[in-house]
Amino acid sequence: MSRKRGIISAVMLCLVLASYYVPFGQAQDTPSQPAAQAPAAAPAAAPAAAPAGAAGELTIAVDKTALSNGGEITVSGKTQPGKPVYLEVENDADVRAVFFDDKPNKDGVRPYKLYLSEHIPAFYQIYTPASTKEVFDKFKAQGGKFAYSDAIKELGADIAYNAPAGVAIDAYQTSLTASIIGSRGDKLPSLDPQENRRRSMQLMKARFRSPGKLLSPTVQVQPDGSYTCKVKIADGSAPGKYVITAYSDKSLKSKPVTVENNISFPVMYMAGAGTSLNVFWPFLLTLGIGVFGVLMGAGGGFLLNPILLSVWPALPHTIVAGTVTPTVLFSQASGIYNYSKIKFISWKLGTIMGLAMAAGGFIGPKMTELITLDQFKFVFGIILLILGALMFWQTTPGYLAKNKKEQAILKEFKRRAEESAAGKKA
Amino acid sequence: MHIIVEFWGQEFKVNIVIGCIGAFILAIVASMFGFGGGPFMVPLMTVVLGLPMYLVVGSSLLAILFNTLMSSMRHYQFGNFDLTFFLIMFPAAILAGFIAPQIAKRVSPLWVKRIAVVGLALLGLSLLGLF
Repeated sequence: MSRKRGIISAVMLCLVLASYYVPFGQAQDTPSQPAAQAPAAAPAAAPAAAPAGAAGELTIAVDKTALSNGGEITVSGKTQPGKPVYLEVENDADVRAVFFDDKPNKDGVRPYKLYLSEHIPAFYQIYTPASTKEVFDKFKAQGGKFAYSDAIKELGADIAYNAPAGVAIDAYQTSLTASIIGSRGDKLPSLDPQENRRRSMQLMKARFRSPGKLLSPTVQVQPDGSYTCKVKIADGSAPGKYVITAYSDKSLKSKPVTVENNISFPVMYMAGAGTSLNVFWPFLLTLGIGVFGVLMGAGGGFLLNPILLSVWPALPHTIVAGTVTPTVLFSQASGIYNYSKIKFISWKLGTIMGLAMAAGGFIGPKMTELITLDQFKFVFGIILLILGALMFWQTTPGYLAKNKKEQAILKEFKRRAEESAAGKKA
Repeated sequence: MHIIVEFWGQEFKVNIVIGCIGAFILAIVASMFGFGGGPFMVPLMTVVLGLPMYLVVGSSLLAILFNTLMSSMRHYQFGNFDLTFFLIMFPAAILAGFIAPQIAKRVSPLWVKRIAVVGLALLGLSLLGLF
């Protein structure tokens, strides 16, 4: 018996080490790749960085072409005197964004349309002239509820909003029945360019949420047309190429310049989430919460999901829910294995109720897409309060007295089960 | 509708319709928000269905595994999954499963629950924006 357990724990330990090794192995590959690309990127940026002086042109130059886990780039150049300057900063890595349109339109009809794109830039920001700060502050005061398209229009940033306007967007007509069978609904014909541009703004808003992440009124333009701007790439931003383009009006734009952002272990890029993280923090957090979760008798998911979202607001809630779910598979499977060894499991009851749960598990994940982060947090908050109340009930004297008897019976049954399992083998 | 479940020489009458409806609703919420659902499944089976704890411990775990498998697959299908992130959290979750029983011997479960109540209340209120 003990030898068998020794073998099993050895296998588990190997599994732990093996799965632990994988991210390390990847991490070593990650920084080497951009490093190899960096020299190639530098000459490409060099011609654009040369200060040109010809009248009527919009020039752009950057003070550095490579960053290490984010940093600040000073962008400078010259436009025609008296013209404004907008900078569009875009990362070449793609992330996913979804937007569910369930607000009543002009006619009071709820459209129930789902818009989805796999090609939203992992980083996107438009820098507007410092003179627009007042307009920006108005939108900033609205926080997460601001309308991105209105902000772009009022700031005059229409001319700079180009990269995301043409991304491929899938539109679905969803319905209650489609939700019940767990489908996204019927796919709609592709959007016309103008509609695509409009919907892309809603997706950008769904992805980046706050005005400050998408817009920054910090381009200093002098009366003679020269301008400077500090472009901040926060740490935790996606690695890869950042393309910066300056715009003065519809026809007057600069050549694009490219800045490479490199990250190195322990910071790693999560392609699905579009964020880089120092991997030790989520590892330690999962470990700590996992231990506490087992002690309190609830899986770590209850605590891990909301804490991850609070600590790293850049992580999309869909990715968090979808990635935390399978982490408990191993502990559940090993628990079932241990109970089944001593035949301490009712396969009939577990399977029948399990099939009902599988049907629920088929529907739930699609609904994660249909709700916003705020709705996710709201419902999760209520769930946690209910769980807290349930836990409180389990600390009341009445429950404890009843539970003591139950636990004694449980122990007695378990002892008998173990004895009989051991007896059969002997 | 009732079914008869036999367990260690005893027979239990289970109202399977209520059980399945409860399990179904619980699974939707659990898979939507990405948690297992054990702390809700156990009271459903003990309090609502009136089953004894020794029947529930193993069987509820089996039922929840169905949900976890299905919802993991669906989340993956919808692209709500990040491999790098998973490979960081998965070994930590397994390691926690080995460390926790060692600590459990040394702490009072009642006090763990009391701390959990306070923690859950604070976390819940902060998610609701009230704290």
